[in-house]
Amino acid sequence: PLVAYHVTQKTVVGVTSFTARARARHAMAQSSAKEENDHQTKESMAGSEKKTGTERYSEDYGYRLFPERKEYKYKSLIAESLFTFRHKCQLMLTFAMERMDKNRHFSCEDCDSIVSGGFDATTSQIVLCQNNIHQQSHMNRVVIHELIHAFDHCRARVDWFNNLRHLACSEIRAANLSGDCSFINEMFRVNSGFKKHHQECVRWRARRSMDAVRNVSQKELDLVIDEVFDSCFKDHAPFDRIPHSKKDAKFAYRDFQNRDRYYANL
Amino acid sequence: MTPHQRSGISMAGSNLQWRPPRSCDVYWSEFKHCRSWKHWFHEYYTYGRAPECQHWKQDYQSCKEWESTRSVLAKESLLESERKRIADQRNFTPVWELRQKPPEDWDLPLNQGKPQDP
Repeated sequence: PLVAYHVTQKTVVGVTSFTARARARHAMAQSSAKEENDHQTKESMAGSEKKTGTERYSEDYGYRLFPERKEYKYKSLIAESLFTFRHKCQLMLTFAMERMDKNRHFSCEDCDSIVSGGFDATTSQIVLCQNNIHQQSHMNRVVIHELIHAFDHCRARVDWFNNLRHLACSEIRAANLSGDCSFINEMFRVNSGFKKHHQECVRWRARRSMDAVRNVSQKELDLVIDEVFDSCFKDHAPFDRIPHSKKDAKFAYRDFQNRDRYYANL
Repeated sequence: MTPHQRSGISMAGSNLQWRPPRSCDVYWSEFKHCRSWKHWFHEYYTYGRAPECQHWKQDYQSCKEWESTRSVLAKESLLESERKRIADQRNFTPVWELRQKPPEDWDLPLNQGKPQDP
Protein backbone atom coordinates (compact mmCIF):
# COMPACT_ATOMS: atom_id res chain seq x y z
CA PRO A 1 0.00 0.00 0.00
CA LEU A 2 1.00 3.59 -0.55
CA VAL A 3 1.92 4.86 2.84
CA ALA A 4 3.41 8.24 3.51
CA TYR A 5 5.75 8.92 6.38
CA HIS A 6 6.95 12.29 5.23
CA VAL A 7 4.57 14.08 7.51
CA THR A 8 5.70 17.67 7.58
CA GLN A 9 3.95 20.23 9.67
CA LYS A 10 5.39 23.48 8.42
CA THR A 11 3.71 26.68 9.40
CA VAL A 12 1.19 27.58 6.73
CA VAL A 13 1.41 31.12 5.45
CA GLY A 14 -1.47 32.46 3.44
CA VAL A 15 -3.63 29.37 3.29
CA THR A 16 -5.91 29.48 0.34
CA SER A 17 -9.60 29.69 0.97
CA PHE A 18 -10.57 26.48 -0.76
CA THR A 19 -9.61 23.52 1.28
CA ALA A 20 -12.39 21.06 0.58
CA ARG A 21 -11.21 17.65 -0.52
CA ALA A 22 -13.25 15.92 -3.21
CA ARG A 23 -13.20 12.38 -4.44
CA ALA A 24 -14.12 11.80 -8.04
CA ARG A 25 -15.50 8.86 -9.91
CA HIS A 26 -13.54 8.11 -13.05
CA ALA A 27 -16.29 7.44 -15.52
CA MET A 28 -18.74 10.20 -16.32
CA ALA A 29 -21.83 9.05 -14.51
CA GLN A 30 -24.30 9.44 -17.31
CA SER A 31 -22.75 9.75 -20.74
CA SER A 32 -19.63 7.64 -20.72
CA ALA A 33 -20.91 4.78 -18.61
CA LYS A 34 -21.60 2.90 -21.80
CA GLU A 35 -18.27 3.70 -23.46
CA GLU A 36 -15.68 1.02 -23.53
CA ASN A 37 -13.04 1.78 -21.03
CA ASP A 38 -10.22 -0.44 -19.84
CA HIS A 39 -10.73 0.61 -16.26
CA GLN A 40 -14.46 0.45 -15.97
CA THR A 41 -14.79 -2.00 -13.16
CA LYS A 42 -17.96 -3.96 -12.79
CA GLU A 43 -18.80 -2.11 -9.59
CA SER A 44 -18.51 1.32 -11.13
CA MET A 45 -20.71 0.45 -14.10
CA ALA A 46 -23.31 -1.10 -11.89
CA GLY A 47 -23.16 1.91 -9.65
CA SER A 48 -23.71 4.39 -12.47
CA GLU A 49 -26.67 2.48 -13.86
CA LYS A 50 -28.15 2.14 -10.43
CA LYS A 51 -27.87 5.81 -9.71
CA THR A 52 -29.39 7.14 -12.93
CA GLY A 53 -32.93 8.35 -12.52
CA THR A 54 -33.15 7.76 -8.80
CA GLU A 55 -31.61 11.00 -7.47
CA ARG A 56 -33.32 14.37 -7.35
CA TYR A 57 -30.18 15.90 -8.85
CA SER A 58 -27.86 13.91 -11.04
CA GLU A 59 -25.17 12.45 -8.79
CA ASP A 60 -21.81 12.87 -10.42
CA TYR A 61 -19.79 11.89 -7.34
CA GLY A 62 -17.86 15.16 -7.58
CA TYR A 63 -16.47 14.65 -11.08
CA ARG A 64 -17.65 18.10 -12.17
CA LEU A 65 -14.94 19.54 -9.91
CA PHE A 66 -12.19 17.70 -11.79
CA PRO A 67 -12.87 18.41 -15.49
CA GLU A 68 -9.52 17.05 -16.63
CA ARG A 69 -10.51 13.57 -15.39
CA LYS A 70 -12.89 13.37 -18.34
CA GLU A 71 -10.56 14.55 -21.05
CA TYR A 72 -8.78 12.02 -23.14
CA LYS A 73 -7.31 14.34 -25.75
CA TYR A 74 -3.58 14.59 -26.09
CA LYS A 75 -2.20 17.85 -24.75
CA SER A 76 1.02 19.46 -25.93
CA LEU A 77 3.63 19.23 -23.20
CA ILE A 78 5.03 22.62 -24.12
CA ALA A 79 1.64 24.27 -23.96
CA GLU A 80 0.99 22.51 -20.68
CA SER A 81 4.18 23.79 -19.09
CA LEU A 82 3.88 27.31 -20.52
CA PHE A 83 0.23 27.99 -19.85
CA THR A 84 -0.64 25.95 -16.78
CA PHE A 85 0.78 25.38 -13.32
CA ARG A 86 1.57 21.77 -14.14
CA HIS A 87 5.32 22.06 -13.89
CA LYS A 88 5.13 23.88 -10.59
CA CYS A 89 2.72 21.30 -9.24
CA GLN A 90 5.01 18.47 -10.28
CA LEU A 91 8.03 20.14 -8.72
CA MET A 92 6.27 20.65 -5.41
CA LEU A 93 5.01 17.09 -5.53
CA THR A 94 8.58 15.90 -6.02
CA PHE A 95 9.69 17.69 -2.90
CA ALA A 96 6.76 16.28 -0.96
CA MET A 97 7.28 12.73 -2.16
CA GLU A 98 11.00 12.23 -2.26
CA ARG A 99 10.88 8.50 -2.07
CA MET A 100 7.58 7.59 -3.68
CA ASP A 101 6.77 6.62 -7.23
CA LYS A 102 4.55 9.41 -8.42
CA ASN A 103 4.31 8.42 -12.05
CA ARG A 104 1.38 6.11 -11.71
CA HIS A 105 -0.56 7.27 -8.72
CA PHE A 106 -0.44 11.07 -8.93
CA SER A 107 -1.76 13.55 -11.46
CA CYS A 108 -1.44 17.34 -11.56
CA GLU A 109 -4.54 18.84 -13.15
CA ASP A 110 -6.66 21.96 -13.32
CA CYS A 111 -9.70 21.71 -11.07
CA ASP A 112 -12.66 23.67 -9.87
CA SER A 113 -11.69 26.56 -7.62
CA ILE A 114 -13.13 25.03 -4.46
CA VAL A 115 -10.94 21.94 -4.33
CA SER A 116 -7.25 21.39 -3.70
CA GLY A 117 -7.07 17.70 -4.46
CA GLY A 118 -8.90 14.41 -4.64
CA PHE A 119 -8.57 10.66 -4.73
CA ASP A 120 -9.97 8.82 -7.73
CA ALA A 121 -10.83 5.36 -6.49
CA THR A 122 -11.50 3.98 -9.96
CA THR A 123 -7.95 4.56 -11.13
CA SER A 124 -6.27 4.60 -7.72
CA GLN A 125 -4.90 8.05 -8.47
CA ILE A 126 -4.37 11.09 -6.36
CA VAL A 127 -5.36 14.29 -8.12
CA LEU A 128 -3.52 17.48 -7.25
CA CYS A 129 -5.09 20.76 -8.31
CA GLN A 130 -2.22 22.61 -9.93
CA ASN A 131 -4.25 25.79 -10.27
CA ASN A 132 -5.06 25.89 -6.56
CA ILE A 133 -1.90 24.72 -4.79
CA HIS A 134 0.76 27.40 -4.79
CA GLN A 135 2.80 26.71 -1.69
CA GLN A 136 4.91 23.75 -0.69
CA SER A 137 3.29 23.53 2.73
CA HIS A 138 -0.13 23.32 1.14
CA MET A 139 1.09 20.65 -1.27
CA ASN A 140 2.49 18.62 1.61
CA ARG A 141 -0.80 18.71 3.43
CA VAL A 142 -2.90 17.84 0.37
CA VAL A 143 -0.62 14.90 -0.46
CA ILE A 144 -0.87 13.52 3.06
CA HIS A 145 -4.63 13.96 3.09
CA GLU A 146 -5.10 12.12 -0.19
CA LEU A 147 -2.63 9.44 0.79
CA ILE A 148 -4.82 8.64 3.78
CA HIS A 149 -7.65 7.96 1.31
CA ALA A 150 -5.32 5.91 -0.86
CA PHE A 151 -4.18 3.98 2.18
CA ASP A 152 -7.78 3.23 3.18
CA HIS A 153 -8.57 2.18 -0.38
CA CYS A 154 -5.64 -0.20 -0.30
CA ARG A 155 -6.10 -1.80 3.11
CA ALA A 156 -9.89 -1.96 3.43
CA ARG A 157 -12.94 -2.78 1.36
CA VAL A 158 -14.12 0.79 1.13
CA ASP A 159 -17.31 1.30 -0.83
CA TRP A 160 -16.61 4.89 -1.82
CA PHE A 161 -19.64 5.39 -4.01
CA ASN A 162 -22.48 3.64 -2.23
CA ASN A 163 -21.62 3.76 1.45
CA LEU A 164 -21.71 7.22 3.03
CA ARG A 165 -20.36 5.82 6.30
CA HIS A 166 -17.22 4.61 4.56
CA LEU A 167 -16.75 7.95 2.84
CA ALA A 168 -17.30 9.81 6.10
CA CYS A 169 -14.84 7.59 7.92
CA SER A 170 -12.05 8.20 5.44
CA GLU A 171 -12.72 11.94 5.44
CA ILE A 172 -12.64 12.05 9.23
CA ARG A 173 -9.34 10.20 9.24
CA ALA A 174 -7.85 12.36 6.51
CA ALA A 175 -8.82 15.60 8.26
CA ASN A 176 -7.58 14.20 11.58
CA LEU A 177 -4.19 12.90 10.50
CA SER A 178 -3.04 15.25 7.74
CA GLY A 179 -2.60 18.47 9.67
CA ASP A 180 -5.70 19.99 8.07
CA CYS A 181 -6.93 20.81 11.55
CA SER A 182 -3.73 21.92 13.16
CA PHE A 183 -4.04 24.88 15.47
CA ILE A 184 -2.01 27.05 13.12
CA ASN A 185 -4.17 26.22 10.11
CA GLU A 186 -7.35 26.90 12.03
CA MET A 187 -5.91 30.15 13.26
CA PHE A 188 -5.28 31.27 9.68
CA ARG A 189 -8.84 30.33 8.80
CA VAL A 190 -9.88 32.57 11.69
CA ASN A 191 -11.70 29.73 13.37
CA SER A 192 -11.65 30.31 17.07
CA GLY A 193 -11.50 27.59 19.65
CA PHE A 194 -8.90 25.75 21.63
CA LYS A 195 -10.12 23.05 23.97
CA LYS A 196 -11.01 20.02 21.87
CA HIS A 197 -11.29 22.31 18.87
CA HIS A 198 -9.40 19.78 16.78
CA GLN A 199 -12.41 17.48 16.84
CA GLU A 200 -14.80 20.23 15.83
CA CYS A 201 -12.54 21.09 12.93
CA VAL A 202 -12.36 17.45 11.82
CA ARG A 203 -16.15 17.17 11.82
CA TRP A 204 -16.57 20.40 9.92
CA ARG A 205 -14.01 19.56 7.28
CA ALA A 206 -15.31 16.04 6.80
CA ARG A 207 -18.79 17.42 6.28
CA ARG A 208 -17.50 20.01 3.85
CA SER A 209 -15.54 17.47 1.81
CA MET A 210 -18.52 15.15 1.58
CA ASP A 211 -20.83 18.01 0.68
CA ALA A 212 -18.65 18.84 -2.31
CA VAL A 213 -19.02 15.41 -3.87
CA ARG A 214 -22.41 14.13 -2.83
CA ASN A 215 -25.98 15.34 -3.37
CA VAL A 216 -27.00 14.71 0.21
CA SER A 217 -28.54 17.09 2.74
CA GLN A 218 -26.40 18.64 5.45
CA LYS A 219 -28.60 16.98 8.05
CA GLU A 220 -28.00 13.54 6.65
CA LEU A 221 -24.26 14.23 6.40
CA ASP A 222 -24.20 15.27 10.05
CA LEU A 223 -26.03 12.10 11.07
CA VAL A 224 -23.61 9.90 9.18
CA ILE A 225 -20.58 11.69 10.58
CA ASP A 226 -21.92 11.43 14.13
CA GLU A 227 -22.52 7.74 13.62
CA VAL A 228 -18.94 6.91 12.65
CA PHE A 229 -16.98 9.68 14.37
CA ASP A 230 -15.97 7.88 17.54
CA SER A 231 -14.64 4.89 15.70
CA CYS A 232 -12.89 6.72 12.88
CA PHE A 233 -11.36 9.45 15.02
CA LYS A 234 -9.60 6.75 17.04
CA ASP A 235 -8.28 4.97 13.97
CA HIS A 236 -4.83 6.49 13.46
CA ALA A 237 -3.45 3.91 11.04
CA PRO A 238 -0.78 3.88 9.65
CA PHE A 239 0.44 6.05 12.52
CA ASP A 240 0.40 5.09 16.17
CA ARG A 241 -0.65 8.62 17.12
CA ILE A 242 -2.09 11.78 15.59
CA PRO A 243 0.98 13.49 14.10
CA HIS A 244 0.64 17.05 15.34
CA SER A 245 4.28 18.03 15.06
CA LYS A 246 7.47 17.13 13.28
CA LYS A 247 8.56 15.23 16.33
CA ASP A 248 5.35 13.20 16.38
CA ALA A 249 5.97 12.33 12.75
CA LYS A 250 9.58 11.48 13.41
CA PHE A 251 8.68 9.21 16.30
CA ALA A 252 5.89 7.53 14.35
CA TYR A 253 8.35 6.85 11.54
CA ARG A 254 10.89 5.52 14.02
CA ASP A 255 8.28 3.09 15.33
CA PHE A 256 7.50 2.02 11.79
CA GLN A 257 11.18 1.32 11.11
CA ASN A 258 11.40 -0.74 14.31
CA ARG A 259 8.14 -2.59 13.84
CA ASP A 260 9.76 -5.98 13.30
CA ARG A 261 11.55 -5.89 16.62
CA TYR A 262 8.47 -4.46 18.30
CA TYR A 263 6.03 -7.19 17.30
CA ALA A 264 8.60 -9.99 17.58
CA ASN A 265 9.08 -9.18 21.26
CA LEU A 266 5.47 -8.78 22.25
CA MET B 1 30.63 -6.97 28.43
CA THR B 2 28.05 -4.53 29.65
CA PRO B 3 24.46 -5.69 30.09
CA HIS B 4 23.57 -3.53 27.10
CA GLN B 5 26.00 -5.36 24.83
CA ARG B 6 24.98 -8.74 26.16
CA SER B 7 21.32 -8.15 25.38
CA GLY B 8 22.03 -8.14 21.65
CA ILE B 9 23.51 -11.66 21.56
CA SER B 10 21.25 -14.58 20.87
CA MET B 11 21.73 -17.38 23.38
CA ALA B 12 19.93 -20.57 24.24
CA GLY B 13 16.92 -20.08 26.49
CA SER B 14 13.87 -18.03 25.49
CA ASN B 15 14.32 -15.54 28.29
CA LEU B 16 17.71 -14.47 26.97
CA GLN B 17 16.56 -14.22 23.34
CA TRP B 18 13.83 -11.80 24.24
CA ARG B 19 14.58 -8.09 24.35
CA PRO B 20 12.38 -5.09 25.05
CA PRO B 21 10.09 -4.16 22.13
CA ARG B 22 11.78 -0.78 21.99
CA SER B 23 15.24 0.20 23.04
CA CYS B 24 15.37 1.97 26.39
CA ASP B 25 16.36 5.34 24.97
CA VAL B 26 13.19 5.28 22.87
CA TYR B 27 11.07 5.05 26.02
CA TRP B 28 12.98 7.93 27.53
CA SER B 29 12.59 10.12 24.44
CA GLU B 30 8.85 9.36 24.36
CA PHE B 31 8.63 10.38 28.00
CA LYS B 32 10.45 13.64 27.39
CA HIS B 33 8.34 14.36 24.34
CA CYS B 34 5.15 13.59 26.25
CA ARG B 35 6.13 16.05 28.95
CA SER B 36 6.98 18.88 26.58
CA TRP B 37 4.76 21.95 26.54
CA LYS B 38 4.16 21.47 22.82
CA HIS B 39 2.72 18.03 23.41
CA TRP B 40 0.59 19.32 26.28
CA PHE B 41 -0.76 21.97 23.93
CA HIS B 42 -1.65 19.43 21.23
CA GLU B 43 -3.22 17.03 23.70
CA TYR B 44 -5.41 19.76 25.15
CA TYR B 45 -6.32 21.04 21.70
CA THR B 46 -7.33 17.53 20.63
CA TYR B 47 -8.79 15.91 23.73
CA GLY B 48 -9.38 18.77 26.17
CA ARG B 49 -7.14 17.22 28.82
CA ALA B 50 -3.53 17.06 29.91
CA PRO B 51 -1.48 14.10 28.67
CA GLU B 52 -0.54 11.17 30.86
CA CYS B 53 3.14 10.47 30.63
CA GLN B 54 4.01 8.34 33.65
CA HIS B 55 3.63 5.08 31.74
CA TRP B 56 6.57 6.01 29.47
CA LYS B 57 8.78 6.66 32.46
CA GLN B 58 7.67 3.39 34.04
CA ASP B 59 8.50 1.54 30.83
CA TYR B 60 11.91 3.17 30.68
CA GLN B 61 12.63 2.05 34.22
CA SER B 62 11.44 -1.49 33.49
CA CYS B 63 13.60 -1.56 30.39
CA LYS B 64 16.72 -0.46 32.26
CA GLU B 65 16.01 -2.89 35.04
CA TRP B 66 15.67 -5.77 32.63
CA GLU B 67 18.93 -4.79 30.96
CA SER B 68 20.84 -4.86 34.21
CA THR B 69 19.15 -7.73 36.09
CA ARG B 70 17.11 -9.69 33.50
CA SER B 71 14.22 -9.40 35.94
CA VAL B 72 11.14 -11.36 34.90
CA LEU B 73 8.94 -8.84 36.70
CA ALA B 74 10.44 -6.00 34.69
CA LYS B 75 9.86 -7.93 31.45
CA GLU B 76 6.25 -8.70 32.37
CA SER B 77 5.60 -5.11 33.37
CA LEU B 78 6.94 -3.88 30.05
CA LEU B 79 4.96 -6.42 28.04
CA GLU B 80 1.76 -5.59 29.89
CA SER B 81 2.26 -1.89 29.31
CA GLU B 82 2.92 -2.30 25.58
CA ARG B 83 -0.01 -4.65 25.10
CA LYS B 84 -2.29 -2.20 26.84
CA ARG B 85 -0.97 0.54 24.58
CA ILE B 86 -1.85 -1.51 21.50
CA ALA B 87 -5.27 -2.44 22.92
CA ASP B 88 -6.02 1.24 23.48
CA GLN B 89 -5.03 2.04 19.91
CA ARG B 90 -7.38 -0.66 18.62
CA ASN B 91 -10.24 0.17 20.96
CA PHE B 92 -12.81 0.91 18.26
CA THR B 93 -15.14 -1.04 16.00
CA PRO B 94 -13.99 -0.67 12.38
CA VAL B 95 -16.48 0.79 9.98
CA TRP B 96 -15.22 -1.34 7.13
CA GLU B 97 -13.81 -4.79 6.47
CA LEU B 98 -10.05 -4.99 6.14
CA ARG B 99 -8.47 -6.52 3.06
CA GLN B 100 -5.95 -9.33 2.83
CA LYS B 101 -4.29 -7.74 -0.18
CA PRO B 102 -4.66 -4.52 -2.18
CA PRO B 103 -7.34 -4.12 -4.87
CA GLU B 104 -6.39 -5.98 -8.03
CA ASP B 105 -6.55 -2.89 -10.23
CA TRP B 106 -4.35 -0.86 -7.90
CA ASP B 107 -1.35 -0.85 -10.21
CA LEU B 108 -2.91 -1.48 -13.60
CA PRO B 109 -1.59 0.83 -16.34
CA LEU B 110 -3.59 3.95 -16.97
CA ASN B 111 -5.46 4.67 -20.20
CA GLN B 112 -3.43 5.85 -23.14
CA GLY B 113 -3.92 9.46 -24.06
CA LYS B 114 -4.78 10.66 -20.59
CA PRO B 115 -3.43 14.04 -19.52
CA GLN B 116 0.21 13.86 -18.65
CA ASP B 117 0.92 12.45 -15.21
CA PRO B 118 3.87 13.58 -13.06
